[in-house]
Amino acid sequence: MGTLELDGVTKVFPDGDGEIVAVDGVDIEMRDGEFLVVVGPSGCGKSTTLRMVAGLETISSGEIRLAGQRINDVKPQHRDIAMVFQSYALYPHMTVEGNMAFGLEESTDLSDGEIETRVADAAETMGIAELLDRKPADLSGGQRQRVALGRAIVRDPEVFLMDEPLSNLDAKLRSEMRTELQRLQDELDVTTMYVTHDQTEAMTMGDRIAILNAGELQQVATPLECYHEPANRFVAGFIGDPSMNFFPVERDGETLVGDVFDYSLSASTLDDVGDVTDLTLGIRPEDIALAGDSTGDHTFSTVVEVVEPMGDENTVYLRFADAPEGETFIATVGGLQQVSAGDEITVEIPEETVHLFDGTSGEAVHNREIDE
Amino acid sequence: MTRNTDTGDDSGDAVADGGVAEGGQRSGFSPIAALNERFGSDFVESSQFWLPPFLLVGLFVYGAIIWNLLISLTDFRGFGTPDYGDLDLQMYSRALADSGFIDAAINTFILLVGFTLVTLALGLGLAILIDRNIRFENTFRTIYLLPMSLSFVVTAQFWAWMFNFNNGVINIVITSLGLGRVDWIGNPDIVLWAVMFALMWQFAGYAMVVFLAGLRAIPNEHYEAAKVDGASTVRMYWRVIIPQLKGSTISASVVLMVFALKAFDFLYSLVGGYRPPNGADILATKMVREAYANLNWAYASAVAITLFLMTLGIVGPYLYYQYNRGNL
Repeated sequence: MGTLELDGVTKVFPDGDGEIVAVDGVDIEMRDGEFLVVVGPSGCGKSTTLRMVAGLETISSGEIRLAGQRINDVKPQHRDIAMVFQSYALYPHMTVEGNMAFGLEESTDLSDGEIETRVADAAETMGIAELLDRKPADLSGGQRQRVALGRAIVRDPEVFLMDEPLSNLDAKLRSEMRTELQRLQDELDVTTMYVTHDQTEAMTMGDRIAILNAGELQQVATPLECYHEPANRFVAGFIGDPSMNFFPVERDGETLVGDVFDYSLSASTLDDVGDVTDLTLGIRPEDIALAGDSTGDHTFSTVVEVVEPMGDENTVYLRFADAPEGETFIATVGGLQQVSAGDEITVEIPEETVHLFDGTSGEAVHNREIDE
Repeated sequence: MTRNTDTGDDSGDAVADGGVAEGGQRSGFSPIAALNERFGSDFVESSQFWLPPFLLVGLFVYGAIIWNLLISLTDFRGFGTPDYGDLDLQMYSRALADSGFIDAAINTFILLVGFTLVTLALGLGLAILIDRNIRFENTFRTIYLLPMSLSFVVTAQFWAWMFNFNNGVINIVITSLGLGRVDWIGNPDIVLWAVMFALMWQFAGYAMVVFLAGLRAIPNEHYEAAKVDGASTVRMYWRVIIPQLKGSTISASVVLMVFALKAFDFLYSLVGGYRPPNGADILATKMVREAYANLNWAYASAVAITLFLMTLGIVGPYLYYQYNRGNL
């Protein structure tokens, strides 16, 4: 069935005399029916990875296996995959029906009648049955998006590949389509590889997330694992919005010494740290709590520089009392809390929510505690 | 932006002018305001720019066509002045009875259709090959386009030499392969095809450039989507790419057909005179020969009008197509 394995997949582009490694030894195993979101910043190699699975790019080294069969040298038209492009790539001279039927006509021996039935069914599923006679130019962006998805699902392939399919939609439509895509994937139960740069899409849609940076796979895990137990500093910073705050610290005995603050650690945390001394302390904005007084171990007095009210919560840019102006970190506090710029407030950075990363390699040495 | 603002100012002025004109309107009728009303607010004001060329083109193009039509209805020949008092279609009935005219018309039609189709096909093939990320792409493009930059007079001379029965390079190659010489120009059954081949050589590069521009406008994703959809390369071009070249095909065809109709220069240069080789007479050469060699002015005009109607038959639908697409 549709298990998809990437085994040490590497893509090297020649660049003048040298070469650029776009994808560097990526290993991913996808179960049949899994929804995997590949996420990363621009130029991280996520689209190249997808295109290698589609057969649109050659594989420099490594192996891609679909249902146990090596498909490195199989032409795209014989891979039994369907792809949704960012630009939708609908054929402008064909009607919606023609666009949806094209793949079946080219890749199967189905009779015209069967093709018509399948197209009608897929159009029904996507809610575009009444658009079948229109040309792509006469459709709205959302409708085109549906047609592009319909064109993929009508093929009933082993694997769906989606290359940022929602990025051309407006925000409201995007969140609608996000839900719909999830429902659809659940219903069809087809292995899906979904590429995006949007970490919200990654968090909300995927069974698992694969995070790429500079061509290297950082972590493959469920969204919540990536959020609460990031493998390294890159993942910690990439997943979550607003992103995690980082402070470079030196370990001195039981204390972490930062530029403007000290942070004492408990014995169990110290066990995790081992003998690493150069560390980065990470704390998510929502874990920073307003403290009534400065009596606790992990309380700090800060100055509010900017407040961004979001309604349900406020994004607050704070500065340690001793830190120079502009060196801020972010905390999110409840929307009803009265905080305004210039206020001096005391915050607590609870030890159970703190992440620690190796200062040089970025590897996580200690992640926050989770109440099971 | 600045220009837009200027236009805005202009129309503001025009409105001011209109205000003055409106003053006149109260006392009755203002032709300026009526014209502006009908054709846009700056119609009269801008006329000093477009009116002179408009009148000149009207006189020298459309006036000449109408005059030509008039002459074709007279019996004017030899020296003297045409007699416009006696207009009839005698010259046209004479043309229909003239086997020379019928042959020329058929040859024109063959050249028109054959040359256009073959050149389009060849140009499309070249464009697709060049578009496939080959090496030295620009060099090839230039080489294929080069013949187009040469004058008909030059290329006709080239081909006259190459088609030469005794010393032409083509016959030399053919005989060295052990085949007999072919009389490319002298054989009336062959000459039209030889001419068509030479014209195709000259214009395939042009068709290629037009198609190449069309191909470049098709996003890469369409090729990729077609491949992922399971289409082979041939099927991909046939069903997804070539149908999107409709616009390029139409514009290239119109230009090629119009050139086919006026292949006069090529034939004239090929033989260096009004009498093209037997079997290669087309309406354009027939027209010039009747007029300037035989002084049959009225008859030549009738041929010219026939040729004009053929051209109109080609360009008219194209203009209508463009008009419907909102490009005119």
